[in-house]
Amino acid sequence: MRLELNIVQITKAQFADATAVRNGVLSVNRQELEDLVKQDTRLTDVDIELANPGDKCRIVNVADVIEPRARIANSGPDFPGAVGMQGTAGHGSTCVLRGAAVLINDYNIGGRQYQRPDEGIIDMWGPGAEIGPYGRTCNVVVLASPANGTSIDEYCVALKIAGLKTAVYLAKAGADLTPDEVEVYDIPSIRDTAGDMQDLPRVAYICQVFTNQRVPLPGDPVLYGHHIEKIVPTILHPNEVFDGAVTDPYRGYAATYVIQNHPMIKELYQNHGKTLHFAGVIISNAPNNAPEYERTANVAANLAKWILGVDGAVLTKIGGGAPELTMALTAQRCEELGIKTALALMHQGIDASEITLKASTVFSNVPQVDAMVSMGASTASPVLTLPPAEKVVGILDGSQMGAEIRRPASDIRGSFSQLGDSRLMAVRY
Amino acid sequence: MSKKLRVVHYLNQFFGGLGGEEQAHRGPQIIDGPIGPGRAIQSRLAEKGEVVATAICGDDYIGERIDEAADEIVQLIRRYDPDVVIAGPAFEAGRYGVACGAICKKVQETLNIPAVTGMYGENPGVDLFHKDVYIVQTGDSVRTMDAAIAKMVNLAMKQAAGHKIGKPTEEGYFPRGILVNEESDRSGAARVVAMLLDKLKGRPFEPEVLQPTHYPVSPAPGIKDIGSSTIALVTDGGLVPAGNPDGIESKNATRFGGYGFKDIDSLAADDYDVNHSGYATVFTRQNPNRLIPVDAMREIEREKGIGKLHERFYSTTGVATRLEMARKMGRAIAAELKSEGVSGAILTST
Amino acid sequence: MVGVPRVVQGVKIVNPMGNEEMDPEAEQRLRRDIATGALNALQAEVKEPTLFDRHKA
Repeated sequence: MRLELNIVQITKAQFADATAVRNGVLSVNRQELEDLVKQDTRLTDVDIELANPGDKCRIVNVADVIEPRARIANSGPDFPGAVGMQGTAGHGSTCVLRGAAVLINDYNIGGRQYQRPDEGIIDMWGPGAEIGPYGRTCNVVVLASPANGTSIDEYCVALKIAGLKTAVYLAKAGADLTPDEVEVYDIPSIRDTAGDMQDLPRVAYICQVFTNQRVPLPGDPVLYGHHIEKIVPTILHPNEVFDGAVTDPYRGYAATYVIQNHPMIKELYQNHGKTLHFAGVIISNAPNNAPEYERTANVAANLAKWILGVDGAVLTKIGGGAPELTMALTAQRCEELGIKTALALMHQGIDASEITLKASTVFSNVPQVDAMVSMGASTASPVLTLPPAEKVVGILDGSQMGAEIRRPASDIRGSFSQLGDSRLMAVRY
Repeated sequence: MSKKLRVVHYLNQFFGGLGGEEQAHRGPQIIDGPIGPGRAIQSRLAEKGEVVATAICGDDYIGERIDEAADEIVQLIRRYDPDVVIAGPAFEAGRYGVACGAICKKVQETLNIPAVTGMYGENPGVDLFHKDVYIVQTGDSVRTMDAAIAKMVNLAMKQAAGHKIGKPTEEGYFPRGILVNEESDRSGAARVVAMLLDKLKGRPFEPEVLQPTHYPVSPAPGIKDIGSSTIALVTDGGLVPAGNPDGIESKNATRFGGYGFKDIDSLAADDYDVNHSGYATVFTRQNPNRLIPVDAMREIEREKGIGKLHERFYSTTGVATRLEMARKMGRAIAAELKSEGVSGAILTST
Repeated sequence: MVGVPRVVQGVKIVNPMGNEEMDPEAEQRLRRDIATGALNALQAEVKEPTLFDRHKA
């Protein structure tokens, strides 16, 4: 499957009479975009705000971040099943407005039901902007409230789809331009590569997308328009994962933006054909009960061994302890089948009384599951002093949030990541 | 010209030349200059420092009255106006190691100057003091004296100069239980793929995370007469009385609560909150018995399946909670239950 | 994996001693079964971490 991403760089977002992209400036026709969002009658009080890097603007209650992308020419539907008709992602061409982001904001209405594990603040300037990626993107914020008679669940789904639609609407404005850069992602089918790259180890990426520690939002278009809280692990071509087949669950641990720019998939692509043969992505959820941990681990390991036929697998989790347990069990099953594994995880539990030289996990003392990379410990975040903001977006009374506030660094949205883009590493002193 | 570092050294009766076990009862004393291993310290310091005095005390003397003896010794040390104190190294000797740790801690607290000691991993002094004091890792015998001295002098000088102390692996000391996030030169994705490739090729690799050491707990004997036993209910699912009166944290908990429910057959949703950021609490809020199963246990109590349901349940929040804090709370809860005549506890975990 | 001597399997993280998908009487019986399993575990002699079943009525 071959995909070309046409990258158009954005350096500023502004309101204007027509939605267009020119010389790196994204102009947005505010009324036209509002009208587009209002088409979904489940939403009311629709508002569009802009925030550019350097603005003394603080944004809270962000339910998801989405990179503006639109499929070009006859490549197929946008966000198939979610925005567009059902179809497939990952082939043809997609236009990307890089340096821009769509934020959906639910004023914490969705947050009360689908709590995030942390506050998720985005500061467009100051210390917050230095440690979180979304302080450096030109942000288009979509705000709305539930219409009369709309349940909270329906509202959240409507808001998410509005965010995805907005992402498509904006990217369409750049689709006819000559891109600043073209990224090519091309991995043919197993059949066509069976004999190829024989000297290179075959590697799969086993990726959790949703954790059942959280209640799933009914109708959340996580995989081709539907949720995945009950799926058994399945295989996707890497291109599908980041080209719109997969979105981050509503108020999830990552963001759709990170999945669209998936750091692990990018890293494996960079190594593909050189040090390894990237054989495919196995996605799963993380269950919340013991028999299903085993089921997920067994199915995923079998897919890796008997269907993808890999020599090695990289694993990440999404969430807390139960996902970590599922990931460890999956790795154990892989090792038992002769597949070597390496895990990347963010520390949650720590034991300060330990005198071991490195921080340890809480679970997994299975000897063969020994290759682990640390992606930081959110519990070891330093406390930041965030300066007073001139503008607060996403909350009805901005006075408290707009003042100078002290928060752990982990409260900055995107400062920690379980998917591999962070450089943070937890070190024991 | 920078000032010469004034160092006071602490030794036990043996290394201090008073004698062996028969001198372990000797009280604290202090003499000018270095003796025994202190001379090696002086050598290492060269012209940058001077071992101005050596404090000596018997292991038993200090063992029998640790706090007072450490105070006495610190008072002797104070007279020499040191910049830093070095104790030991104690290698495997347990009383000596505990003494070194206690003295270093007392020096830091009372004289406000840095201290450093050294001992072998299994020395009880490590467990007791590694969080408060830099303890360099030594071998289990005096044959490793030189290496130990080198590490101790290095840390002593760095601390005295206010220099940043490197990682435990670099400087050779026992980790002090502090976790810090540092920035690597590469992303987590790059590092994990590289680590996998090393593992696939059979190349050595350095994991960044270790597997945990779980210290085995001896199981308590089974309850012999359940029909006359008192059983208590405990949870880490964050169940608290409405309003969370004890302010138990919703993650990384440091507190627990004990809450009475006398004469009640079933916990009522309105009386309770669930305060836990690690799972969706909607179902446990609807029915707190899903965490603390008072309703089921009352039935069993009525049918004489147990002697009595203890009238208080205990609760804390088990998400991102430090293991040592969890152990501490567990011990405290167990002690309370035991003093109240409880024989067994059912812990519901989320 | 963690070394607790006596463990009884609960239902799920978000509902350890219950199941919101069942109707109330069935859920009540389920809770009783898990509690009974726990009491059986408390009476058993164990040497190492042991997983106990719920009581099957």
